[in-house]
Amino acid sequence: MVTNIGAKPLRVLDPTATQSIATDGMAVRTESLAGKRIGLLTNDKLNAANLLDAVYDVLAERFEVASAYRVNKGDASRPADPGFLNDLSQEIDVAILANGD
Amino acid sequence: MIPRLTSDSIEVSDALEAIETYFENGWSDGLPVVPPTPEAVTAMLEAASLVPDDILGIEPVKGAVITAEKAAINAVMAGCKPEYMPVVIAAIEAITQPEFNLHGITVSTMGAAIMLIVNGPITKDLEINSGVSAFGPGHRANATIGRAIRLVIQNILGTKSNNGLDKATLGHPGKYSWCIAENEEALPNEWSPLHVTHGLTEGESAVTVMSGLSGTQFGEHEVSTPERILDAFAQRLYPMGPGVKQVVLVICPEHASHFSAAGWKKEQVGKYIYENARKPASEWIAMGFPSGAQRDPKSELGDANADQLTSVLDSPESAIPIVVGGDGGAWSAVIPPWSLGSRSKVVTRPIKANR
Repeated sequence: MVTNIGAKPLRVLDPTATQSIATDGMAVRTESLAGKRIGLLTNDKLNAANLLDAVYDVLAERFEVASAYRVNKGDASRPADPGFLNDLSQEIDVAILANGD
Repeated sequence: MIPRLTSDSIEVSDALEAIETYFENGWSDGLPVVPPTPEAVTAMLEAASLVPDDILGIEPVKGAVITAEKAAINAVMAGCKPEYMPVVIAAIEAITQPEFNLHGITVSTMGAAIMLIVNGPITKDLEINSGVSAFGPGHRANATIGRAIRLVIQNILGTKSNNGLDKATLGHPGKYSWCIAENEEALPNEWSPLHVTHGLTEGESAVTVMSGLSGTQFGEHEVSTPERILDAFAQRLYPMGPGVKQVVLVICPEHASHFSAAGWKKEQVGKYIYENARKPASEWIAMGFPSGAQRDPKSELGDANADQLTSVLDSPESAIPIVVGGDGGAWSAVIPPWSLGSRSKVVTRPIKANR
């Protein structure tokens, strides 16, 4: 019977990698939603738009928001295109995102 | 001389302690790993003429870098022999291509695994099984090359199912390992192997990656014409809905022999299914389509006439036939990709023995 399987000191290596993830920090928070254009950005999932509309209804009850701007990034599995986000930023003051799977 | 390895190291009293340590640190896939000593990792790098900080791929969404050193560590852990490393490298190059959408397929609730299909002379050199029970256990190259890719994804990219980014609802047993070779000797006359169909040459070796969902195996022992065999394939494709953009058709050698006897060309397979596997819009709608995964405008049926026939395939090229399996038995299979090929594409990359 073998009783000393692998009984030998070893040095072994860490298989993981520490990835440097770029962060842009948080956008400046708006002090009030009054008069703001609210962007509702769905990720193309079936229930995302429903969830965002429900959130918007609550906000519209509580604040004198200017408008809702509904937009779909078109592919739940990939990040939104930077140009798409840049264009969106021209149309809205605040963005709310939802992943309604 | 290979430059020094830079990964952190751990001192352990023996191999069993190493195995337990990797379990405890969440570095295994749930099975014991081979302890990656510097000597073993160096041998893996040397076999592929790599230096530790060579970059093998960058995951496009997170920008996560896969270095040769970290890939080699994970390949050792998976149980790879050093000579398997060129296949692992090619697979990493393939899965990090933007069109494969690695981040999407590895975090998605849909839960795809990554299937590797190896072609060319290297399959014989490394004894990658393409025959009896090709999708089953018992072959080191198949088991460990596929496992290495999974360990790379979990340990280097950080996409793991145990308290990690992988949010698959059901998961997939192929996430432990899923690597086969095409049975090129059983290809019908004049059929090109998969990598040649994808633009490489017969003398090259290559790996093709696919984000595979659960396959459907079926038996069709009673028919012997390509048309009836493909009709049987079609019955397994219909549940995917209309307009499937890519799907792998795993043709067993017995079925393949009927295509050979009938003189069918490989291109006829997709053409036949595309032209014949059709249903009227009313039937697709009754089956629940379009579903959420198929809201591509081309597959929308809402405005279609109820009698209008729509094919299960988006185009003849949507079918990707491969020949796999043992000689006995008439069991073939269909394997759909994640998102049915709309958001993750099959990718082929050459295997370079000497970089």
